Amino acid sequence: MSIMQYNGGSVIAMVGKDCVAIASDLRLGNQALGISANFQKIFPVSDRIYLGLPGLATDVTTLVNMYTIKEEREIEPETFAHLVSSTLYERRFGPYFIEPVMAGLSKTPSGSFKPFIAATDLIGCLNFAKDFVVAGTASEKLFGVAEGLWEPDMEPEDLFETISQTMLNAVDRDAYSGWGVVVHVM
Amino acid sequence: MNSFASRFATTGHIQELKRAQANAEDDEFSDAAWGSEAGFGSLAKGVPSFSVPTVPDPSAFLRLHTDDHADPKCRIKIQHGTTTLAFRFQGGVIVAVDSRATAGSYIASGTVKKVIEINPYLLGTMAGGAADCQYWETYLGIHCRLHELRNRERISVSAASKYLSNLVYSYKGMGLSMGTMICGWDKTGPRIFYVDSDGTRLAGDLFSVGSGSTFAYGVLDQGYRWDLTDEEAQELGRRSIYAAGHRDAFSGNTCNLYHVKEDGWTFIGNYDISKLHYDGPNNVDGAGYGYEVRVGSRSQ
Amino acid sequence: MAAASVYSSPGFDFSNQIRNNFLTDKGLPLPKATSTGTTIVGCLFDDGIILGADTRATEGPIVADKNCEKIHYITESIRCCGAGTAADTEFVTNLISSNMEMHALTHGRKPRVVTAMTMLKQYLFRYQGHVGAALVLGGVDSTGPNLFTIHPHGSTDKLPYVTMGSGSLAAMAVFESGWKANMSREDALQLVKDAIAAGIFNDLGSGSNIDACIITANHTEMLRNVEMPNERAKKEKSYGFRRGTTDWKSEVIRKLVLSEEVTPIGGGDAMDTS
Repeated sequence: MSIMQYNGGSVIAMVGKDCVAIASDLRLGNQALGISANFQKIFPVSDRIYLGLPGLATDVTTLVNMYTIKEEREIEPETFAHLVSSTLYERRFGPYFIEPVMAGLSKTPSGSFKPFIAATDLIGCLNFAKDFVVAGTASEKLFGVAEGLWEPDMEPEDLFETISQTMLNAVDRDAYSGWGVVVHVM
Repeated sequence: MNSFASRFATTGHIQELKRAQANAEDDEFSDAAWGSEAGFGSLAKGVPSFSVPTVPDPSAFLRLHTDDHADPKCRIKIQHGTTTLAFRFQGGVIVAVDSRATAGSYIASGTVKKVIEINPYLLGTMAGGAADCQYWETYLGIHCRLHELRNRERISVSAASKYLSNLVYSYKGMGLSMGTMICGWDKTGPRIFYVDSDGTRLAGDLFSVGSGSTFAYGVLDQGYRWDLTDEEAQELGRRSIYAAGHRDAFSGNTCNLYHVKEDGWTFIGNYDISKLHYDGPNNVDGAGYGYEVRVGSRSQ
Repeated sequence: MAAASVYSSPGFDFSNQIRNNFLTDKGLPLPKATSTGTTIVGCLFDDGIILGADTRATEGPIVADKNCEKIHYITESIRCCGAGTAADTEFVTNLISSNMEMHALTHGRKPRVVTAMTMLKQYLFRYQGHVGAALVLGGVDSTGPNLFTIHPHGSTDKLPYVTMGSGSLAAMAVFESGWKANMSREDALQLVKDAIAAGIFNDLGSGSNIDACIITANHTEMLRNVEMPNERAKKEKSYGFRRGTTDWKSEVIRKLVLSEEVTPIGGGDAMDTS
């Protein structure tokens, strides 16, 4: 067993037309034993950035505390993604066991908002995808379902259905994820 | 040629194989004369024999490739996670099982039949190696029928379970993996026997087997009485499997419920564990077993 | 937690090592980091250098990113392709890029490719291969075009045509049969594209698209996705779910646009200064 499966949990973020969505399951486990059905893995960083942290629960809590201490001002999603990346890479040789997923709306020079998603591995390698990013114990299943269901330029209502069904169906095939899902649409 | 005495002296599969071989030598009829025997070997000649890989220690070889505790990357994964339970009460035997099959963290199936219907009076449950349970309990069914034909009466649950227990014991250490409950009704009334591949055979009132058994026992022990009504007993079985399916990552999906009475077993139903969580067994919105469902808005 | 915002020493933080080694000893292996299976190449032509790369990033058997960028910026006329642990290639090239800029500002002239090469090899040697970056460094400076490979332990090569990564054998086969001295820009670009394509199609660790970068004495041209031989066909039908398919238990709407009405009440209380 990998340490990433100790507590279980999965997160996915998707891009739509002028909108983004991020979803996670709600399970906190101790290996096979389900402990909580209300364990938040998605945290608001600012009004327009949400951060999903699947992985080892103790590190999730540590990092969330760290970011809330560090950031008490508006930050652009791209900048925040690099902050996350650098924080993780600083511990290249003794990493936190988390795979962050970010979703947000970034300001364009014209003053409008552009959807933004990103994910990193546990040592901070950034992945700026244009469609969707996944992480956690059900990541393989999420990749599969999302690859089939995602399509470009979805309206917020359709994006909600797509991300919800992707999450629900992937999580139903993973023993370590489940016990409810929360979806955030921006 | 073996002496007559040694050919019939001992039991155990090695002796039986020897006997089968000896029989084959002086057999005038080919196997084909008896028609298909459905992969169960030559029933006329005792225990089926298996082809064994040509390695010095076949059981070590099998263990090397199937033991995912020692080596998570092993090639063959045997189904492990399960919850099964059976209990005896005034109205017969209740048998309840979940339906999840996992390979590592992957839920390979959510619709597995873990109750094996050996014959109209006998049920076997499945935990451990799915193939081992299915094969040997079907094989047990054949021999229960042969027993009926030979003795003009149904086999007792005790005899049937002992047949299985002796059989798996003769393969001890060779990699069989099964934890099963043989349940039925015979002349003595409702009976349950726990039989596993180590060779354990126990008679009892109440058993639960599998990774979720601790959760099932919790509910079962709390609600168990001998004078449960049929409805109460069925509800207890269902509620126990729900508890295990909810808390244990390797159990879940649905619950299959059986009731064994004097005139044989009946299948009560298949219940979705998520439905039980939210709506309960009678499908009433908000009447589920779930903690948050019952606590409602007071839960934070 | 250490006082992060007050002082943190430069370089890596090893404070989780004891815990993580304990976990590894318990038989819980470290999870896989993203790596670039990768085909990266570089080749000289008559008046410059062409670098090439595929765009696949993998996490074990999973394709983590189908279109990542592996040609990293060092200076305007020096670029570096990275293979190996993706985070390492990203951060090591970023660090050296910063140091090169500092170098340029300190000395008031453009730093040479060998400077970048030396910085990289010294950095990688210091970490004894634990920083898993395998690089192809190319650029044009006052001495002319330069092309190097740098291995994770710090060894370097200087050659007219080079390949690295899991697809290096496939790519080198193309170079060995097709490379000639003083090729034209067009021929060289075609050769680089063929070499990367060989990696994409014959190496499972490489895939997706071709990136190339042409560096000459007075111009650098980054050709992002010059060739896209693996584009996904458009779906014939939509698999979109009808709105209302997913049921939910509760919904919270956060309005970010606030309208506030301020009503002044009387003269206000005196400020409490006790």
